[in-house]
Amino acid sequence: MDSSLLSLFQLCDSNFPSGGFSHSFGLETYIQQDKVIDPETFSQWLTLYLEEQMVSADGFAIKLAYQALENDNFEEIWHLDRLLTVQNVSQETREGTRFMGRSLIKIAETIYDSELIELYNKRIKEKKSFAHPAIVFALAGNHLKITKDTTILYYMYSTVINLVQNAVRAIPIGQTAGQKIITAFQPKLQKAVTTINDLEESDFGTIAPGIEMAQMQHENLTVRIFMS
Amino acid sequence: MDRTQWTGFLSMDIENRAGKSVPKNIYFHDALKVQRPVYDGKSGRPCYYILNLGGGYLDGDTYRIEIKVREKAELTLTTLGATLIYKTPTKPVYQETEIFLEENSYLEYLPDPIIGYEKARYKQLDTIYMKKGATLFYSDILTPGWSAEGRSFSYDMLHLRTNIYMEDELVVYDNIKLEPAVQQIDVLGFMEEYTHLGTFIVIAEKIDEDLVKRLQEVINKQSGDFKAGISSLTVAGFTLRVMANMTQDIQKVISACHALISKEWYAKTPPLLRKY
Repeated sequence: MDSSLLSLFQLCDSNFPSGGFSHSFGLETYIQQDKVIDPETFSQWLTLYLEEQMVSADGFAIKLAYQALENDNFEEIWHLDRLLTVQNVSQETREGTRFMGRSLIKIAETIYDSELIELYNKRIKEKKSFAHPAIVFALAGNHLKITKDTTILYYMYSTVINLVQNAVRAIPIGQTAGQKIITAFQPKLQKAVTTINDLEESDFGTIAPGIEMAQMQHENLTVRIFMS
Repeated sequence: MDRTQWTGFLSMDIENRAGKSVPKNIYFHDALKVQRPVYDGKSGRPCYYILNLGGGYLDGDTYRIEIKVREKAELTLTTLGATLIYKTPTKPVYQETEIFLEENSYLEYLPDPIIGYEKARYKQLDTIYMKKGATLFYSDILTPGWSAEGRSFSYDMLHLRTNIYMEDELVVYDNIKLEPAVQQIDVLGFMEEYTHLGTFIVIAEKIDEDLVKRLQEVINKQSGDFKAGISSLTVAGFTLRVMANMTQDIQKVISACHALISKEWYAKTPPLLRKY
């Protein structure tokens, strides 16, 4: 196997310890409302989360970032970092994502020798950029000369695994049921990449009202195991 | 595009003249128009009602609204009735609004709901540029229109994009695209058991976490069948989102929040205009 691909896997695997385990992105609200109760209802939620929120925001941002990098348009990268942040209406989810972005960029700076990753981290430290995991992935994937579609796919795959692990603990569902969901999501992930490539600029960050509502309402849950 | 090429065009420029907010320039063309303002008894703030002379938006219609509220001027802007979008067999209706809020200006932009009828497609782009100290109250409500078959979502698409800049930096990017023609709308995570979607965005230097908490309490006290969420922006301000099955339920939540803010702010600092 290609060593650069292994190198990207390392970033994927650090997604979870970078804070992914403590953020449910609104899933916990649905669990407490008894709307997500088993593998079936969790799959429904995860499908919407993937096909609406992930595709139009994070996934599409990676595609646009790759395009910008091809043209050495770094301003566009910083703009995407801002867009991804401000389009996220829930403060808690937004801050959680920023936290994960800051952890990831530190790891990325350590394991990759990339001036652009260094520059992004510098901007984050100087509060000129917010920090977002999708931007870190785009910079890392591009640095490792991995194709845009592969980077998008692995980013979404690592997010799905992350959320399944959280569901296993929180709903709870069995590990085997969780692995079955991950298998069932393989074609959905492939399809998501195709969808992303067909999106128009005006589709960036279109909201999934229910998912977004659950993320905002999570801020008021009194008993909770996740930070978002 | 030249002013006369739009189906409807409206331009308003409000300034503060000796403490009173007055029109510096108002221009409208064809299908859009504003009536003479009503002045709020307490604040003296002018309130204008936008009228659509055609009665509704039709296939391929294009509208442009330009609003400027100058330094320390205030304006309330609403519509006389709901914006009705009828079927668009060839081209979606398009409306763009550009708003400039100068330093310490104040705008309430609270239009009536947008109603999408059978086979309607509507695209809206709102861009707001704010300067330091400016205050903005902004709302939109999307509702499905009556359909012969009794379907909840008979329109094809309602697409609303809102960009708000504070001192040239993007601080709000809201992109709502409900597309029943190609999308399953009533599923978990999307519109679920609701048909109406409302948004209320408020940006003002005085807004803090504590106020957002108190607004949450006000929301919790409202009765009616709705789901609401409120959260702070990256600048002083918040977004309130409401899902419901009736416009009134959304309006009630938005009004309650608006009322609490007005009450608190004006109890502490009476409007400047009252002096005159």
